[in-house]
Amino acid sequence: MKKKSFSMLLTALLTFSVVLSACSGGNNNNGTTAPAASSNEGTNTVVAEKEAEPAAPTEIKIMLPLNTSESPPDTIKNEIEKLTNTKLTYQFFPADTYEEKLNASFATGSLPQVTYLKNQTTFIQMKEAIKDGQFWEIGPYLEEFPNLNKMKPEILNNTKVEGMLYSLYIGRPLARQGMIYRKDWADKLGLSAPANTDELFEMAKAFTEQDPDGNGQKDTTGISDRNELTYGAFKTVSSWFGTPNAWAEKDGQLAPEFTFQQYIDTMDFFKKAREAGYMNQDFAATSKTDAVNMFTSGKAGLYIGGSMQDIDSLNKDLIKNFPDAVLDTHSMVAGPDGNFAQWMIPGYNNVVLFPKSAVKDEAELKKILAFFDQMMTPEISNLMYWGIEGTHYTVEDGKAKPAEDKELIEREVKGYKDSVIGEAETNGMYESYNILPGRIHAEQLLLENVKVGVADPTAALESATFTEQGVELQQIITDATYKYIYDQIDKAGFEKEVESWKSRGGSKIIEEFNASYKAQ
Amino acid sequence: MQEVAVQPSAAPQPQRKRGKNSSELKKRLWRNKWLYVMVTPGILYFIIFKYLPMYGLIISFQDYKPYQGISGSDWVGMEHFNRLFTEPDFLNILMNTLILFGLNIVIYFPIPIILALMLNELRGTFFKRFFQTLVYLPHFMSWVIVVSISFVMVTMDGGIINELLVFFGFEKVNFLLNPSWFRPMYIIQVIWREAGWGTIIYLASIAAIDPGLYEAARMDGAGRLKQIWHITLPSIRGVIITLFILKIGSVLDLGFEHVYLLLNSMNREVAEIIDTYVYTAGLRQGQFSYSTAIGFFKSIIGLIMVMSVNKLSKKMGEEGVY
Repeated sequence: MKKKSFSMLLTALLTFSVVLSACSGGNNNNGTTAPAASSNEGTNTVVAEKEAEPAAPTEIKIMLPLNTSESPPDTIKNEIEKLTNTKLTYQFFPADTYEEKLNASFATGSLPQVTYLKNQTTFIQMKEAIKDGQFWEIGPYLEEFPNLNKMKPEILNNTKVEGMLYSLYIGRPLARQGMIYRKDWADKLGLSAPANTDELFEMAKAFTEQDPDGNGQKDTTGISDRNELTYGAFKTVSSWFGTPNAWAEKDGQLAPEFTFQQYIDTMDFFKKAREAGYMNQDFAATSKTDAVNMFTSGKAGLYIGGSMQDIDSLNKDLIKNFPDAVLDTHSMVAGPDGNFAQWMIPGYNNVVLFPKSAVKDEAELKKILAFFDQMMTPEISNLMYWGIEGTHYTVEDGKAKPAEDKELIEREVKGYKDSVIGEAETNGMYESYNILPGRIHAEQLLLENVKVGVADPTAALESATFTEQGVELQQIITDATYKYIYDQIDKAGFEKEVESWKSRGGSKIIEEFNASYKAQ
Repeated sequence: MQEVAVQPSAAPQPQRKRGKNSSELKKRLWRNKWLYVMVTPGILYFIIFKYLPMYGLIISFQDYKPYQGISGSDWVGMEHFNRLFTEPDFLNILMNTLILFGLNIVIYFPIPIILALMLNELRGTFFKRFFQTLVYLPHFMSWVIVVSISFVMVTMDGGIINELLVFFGFEKVNFLLNPSWFRPMYIIQVIWREAGWGTIIYLASIAAIDPGLYEAARMDGAGRLKQIWHITLPSIRGVIITLFILKIGSVLDLGFEHVYLLLNSMNREVAEIIDTYVYTAGLRQGQFSYSTAIGFFKSIIGLIMVMSVNKLSKKMGEEGVY
């Protein structure tokens, strides 16, 4: 009896699974089978594109990262299609897992004709494939397109691979990092914007201990940070301390930032702030969303490291909770030696590539470039960046003023906003018309930042080891930095990790960058 | 991969053995034709999704370049396996994987059984159904949700658990970043999400036990505990062993998503497991060959484990899974 019931159970399970698999097989035949098969053969079958019929709209597939939670509706896309005679297919993938999607699509040969990368790190990873000739070199074609030709040569230079241009860039201000803080809290406690790193620490302390929200409870913190050294608070504060931007010369040789004393000083700053409770204690495990929530829910008073232009969205969410809250931006924080500094990006935050596996010939490439050429006109770039005039923004004093309904803009426009190539100076789109005093201040600070900006000297240098292993090795340093801040290792322990970085490939990176540096 | 693959072939096999000559075999095949038709989609599924992809394992012996394809990439022999075994972190990662697996077997595995026995003792169908639903609902939440809920509960900045600790006069505990809390957090979350779901099969097999056995036992004066010990448990022993073998098969498969969500710079030394390592090395850093080699290694261990446990269970007089 026991055996019988058991085998009946198995039979039932089996039938059930067969039925299930039959269902899923039937539904997904077109969808799943093809990629699954091709993923193991590495062929280019998936990219079977419909050739554009003559005179008909050019069909373009575009893959890009999405920084909101949902794909935008077609409102903007339809307008672009009308204006550019194209048929566009946008494939949005969440920015959080974009590297994964990018690598998987690349491995299966299914990258679309237009492939946006995610940031400079993904660009470094793609370099090997670029050198191997997997993407179209577009440098020679640029002069045929009057608008594309306007892109800034110095930034284009930063994106070249072995002296050749393969990509278009999405321009960003060189140095938009700084801090966004609760001006109402500071005013109440009689504090002014911190002039140096000591005052910054004092502000974090006061925000924690002196009950800035006046509710009689000690329920506030200074800094709200997240699990990210570069775009979190760490790198920005470290540049205030005078740490070089990734690499700098030391004893006549290029050396990585974490071999400089200032890097240690920055770690000490955060260690002190964490121990004293002047920042969120779990920042090494806090996501960007949680860090932002902490700030907009009035629990923290300092948000450091992101773009100061983010003040608009932070303000929007904060005043929902605290209508009287006032935010301001600040970035001129002097280091212990009294000097100002701010790290800079190489003028772009992302690039677009054109895979040869999807773009079959020169003619097709030129059609796609023609679309991007149109994107560089004020009409299209405004449409993609600001949305539809009258719905998403209005023009005042020759500048774009976003509509009141921020949710609508976020839903319908944000997805496209991050894909506009060039910058306002080159594509002629509107500058933003700001009303928020903190945002106006931020725009002034962006210009100030550039004056004291520190560039990454290796941006245009070559190192094969860095291309291959740089990201993997950086993890060792990132982990060690957090362990130091959390007091799990001391300075000697940190130096041991740096040695481990060196022995596992770091030394080679140093050598190669220096060789490339001298050859310049 | 392999451990599930044995199921569909299990059905036709005994019949082939019984067929004494080919004409009788044909007759048998014909008589059961609808069974074969029914099993075809399942077999196809395994061929397409489980066996064909094995072809891709080739790249673990190559210096695979996606744009050159399998036919165009260079052969490098065992280089990636050598790299894996000489990697300074490898031993640590393997240990982490095995420890989490051990926790799964020792702590998690018995819980659904106990839970099923307890649910079974509940009188009144309403309560039974109610509690059963209550305990298996968490299964339908994604790991992201489970981990986020835990994050909110245990965070140092106003998390309820830390607030309670302070209220009762204890120190705050940094659950999220303290390496020694990673494993307890992991196993508690597994239990919370999966235990109820795991009871379903046990409850189903308990329901199939002949009530006459219990009546007879009661007549002989057996109490509740005695009934459980002498009737219920022996009756579901087969199911327990089958599920145990299947569990062993996934020895190094601990739910990538869950661990990855809990992983951070501070607990990496205890939290990095083979799955997360494959993900970071392979998908995020594009080392396809290397990560395939690791995955391959993992599958082989799984296969060996299933085969040995299966053998063991047969030696002990149980059915095994094949």
